[in-house]
Amino acid sequence: MPWLLVLPSLVLAFAVIGYPLYEIMRLSVADVSRFGQVRGFVGWGNFSRMLADPVFVAALVRTLEWTVAVVGGTVLISMPVALVLQQDFWGRGLARTIVMLPWSVSLSMAAIVWLWSFDGNHGMVNTTLQSLGLLSGPVQWMALPQTAFPVEIAVGILVSIPFTVTIFLGGLSSIPGDIYEAAAIDGATRTQSFRLLTLPLMRGFLNIAIVLNVIYVFNSFPIIWVMTQGGPDNSTHILVTYLYELSFRLGRPGMAAAVSLAMLVIVFAFTMVYVRMQSREAA
Amino acid sequence: MSRKTVRRSLWCWLALSPIVVLVLFPFAVMLSTAVKPIDEVLAYPPRWLPTRLAWENFADMWQAADFGTALLNSLVISILATFLAIAVALPAAYAMSRLPFRGRGLYRQFLLVTQMLSPILLVLGLFRMAAAIPLGDGTLVDTRLGVIIIYGAFNIAFAAWMLASYFATIPRDLEEAAWIDGCNRAGAVLRIFLPVAAPAIAVTAIVTFVASWNEFTVALTMLRDPSKLTLTLRVVNLVAGRYSVQWNQVMAATLLATLPVAVMFAVLQRWLVQGLTLGAVK
Repeated sequence: MPWLLVLPSLVLAFAVIGYPLYEIMRLSVADVSRFGQVRGFVGWGNFSRMLADPVFVAALVRTLEWTVAVVGGTVLISMPVALVLQQDFWGRGLARTIVMLPWSVSLSMAAIVWLWSFDGNHGMVNTTLQSLGLLSGPVQWMALPQTAFPVEIAVGILVSIPFTVTIFLGGLSSIPGDIYEAAAIDGATRTQSFRLLTLPLMRGFLNIAIVLNVIYVFNSFPIIWVMTQGGPDNSTHILVTYLYELSFRLGRPGMAAAVSLAMLVIVFAFTMVYVRMQSREAA
Repeated sequence: MSRKTVRRSLWCWLALSPIVVLVLFPFAVMLSTAVKPIDEVLAYPPRWLPTRLAWENFADMWQAADFGTALLNSLVISILATFLAIAVALPAAYAMSRLPFRGRGLYRQFLLVTQMLSPILLVLGLFRMAAAIPLGDGTLVDTRLGVIIIYGAFNIAFAAWMLASYFATIPRDLEEAAWIDGCNRAGAVLRIFLPVAAPAIAVTAIVTFVASWNEFTVALTMLRDPSKLTLTLRVVNLVAGRYSVQWNQVMAATLLATLPVAVMFAVLQRWLVQGLTLGAVK
């Protein structure tokens, strides 16, 4: 009887995830034509071509930079934001709503609006920075490799903050308030009680926020695809955007399948880290 | 209000001001550009305030982007995908929270792994799967049905997980009392359990709906025919690969596409946020 209730979900998830997974495994060791016809078995051929491809290697390195920068920036900003939102102050409900707002906006829509805001000639970012005296002339942000990627990282951080702040707020509310009073009586300063009480008690939540964000950011496709499609001159490709291009633009399904599989292994490894953390939290 | 609270409130808002500005900045850009006449959009240097409100942007955009069709497609796809996900997740969540069965831990782990898999990682396989399934004259590629099934499947894990967490908080006594009163198990579920669980189901449905509404990658891969595109895809197509972009129309479109969801989110924020993180933390 319980299995009968679980069965529909299992069948649907298995079909829609299992079959594509099988296809990807099959293609990754096959010689596949531009149009997706399997012509034979090549063993590790697709993988060795993948590793020999300079665009792939550059995208791999950039994915690492992207993930570290976005997750690191998100956590560094979200912690103080959560600490402030935890205070009792006038208008806290409004402040929480504003901070959470980016969550409701689709990533592709956010990317479009930021793309327009960073427009070199008519964008409001240049205007605002110039009127504040922070820029002397307009910058063509999205046309230059050295600015396009950092802008995308900044957008990535902004859209990841709501989720992370929520996890931190959950963690902060689980800390009993009286330990701070006790620490204050013992003469602890605010910095001391943050470093010696809040941080250690928040560690579980911090770890979960980091691991989940790593998985989400590693898989994040719309921001870079909408803002630069991996350009200019392949300078903003991360693995997911390159994977999409290999699959549907460059017509190299065999190698795309190899890239998919490599990424699945990485995500699976992080998921296992998360599962272990969860079971330790529960214990 | 004491002076201390006033001072603290000022400090808190001051500390939050950078993030508040950054969050509201894109909304201000959307609003400002959406009501500008095109010559002012392209004027240099750009200004925040237009000299007149160009409401015609919305009508022009509605025509040029075939916005109504895209809106309808997004509604149909998101509603049916939500319905599909809830329909299969609901019994599964009930089993997970109420009936001990062999392999329950394994099932939970399976859900967790599927939740971590983003469709982009499987995008090539998903496309080939859709292309292998015949439907009418063609295949599942470039059909709304294909997108609905994929959205539904990828939302099961989240929906089942979230529903099960809520169900665990509903006291068993309620149903057990109904059994004593002569209700059978199915009757107790229908008459006692489901009404109590209704708010949880509603929150899960809303979150699933918003996720489908906002999705981009699968729609980009599966849909080609302009009459089938979803709203997000339609708006992206106004920008991507265009030589000249009508930014005032694009911002009018993004505003219409995001504002309803943002307002709903702001109103229901307390419940939604609680639900959104339930799957993640415990």
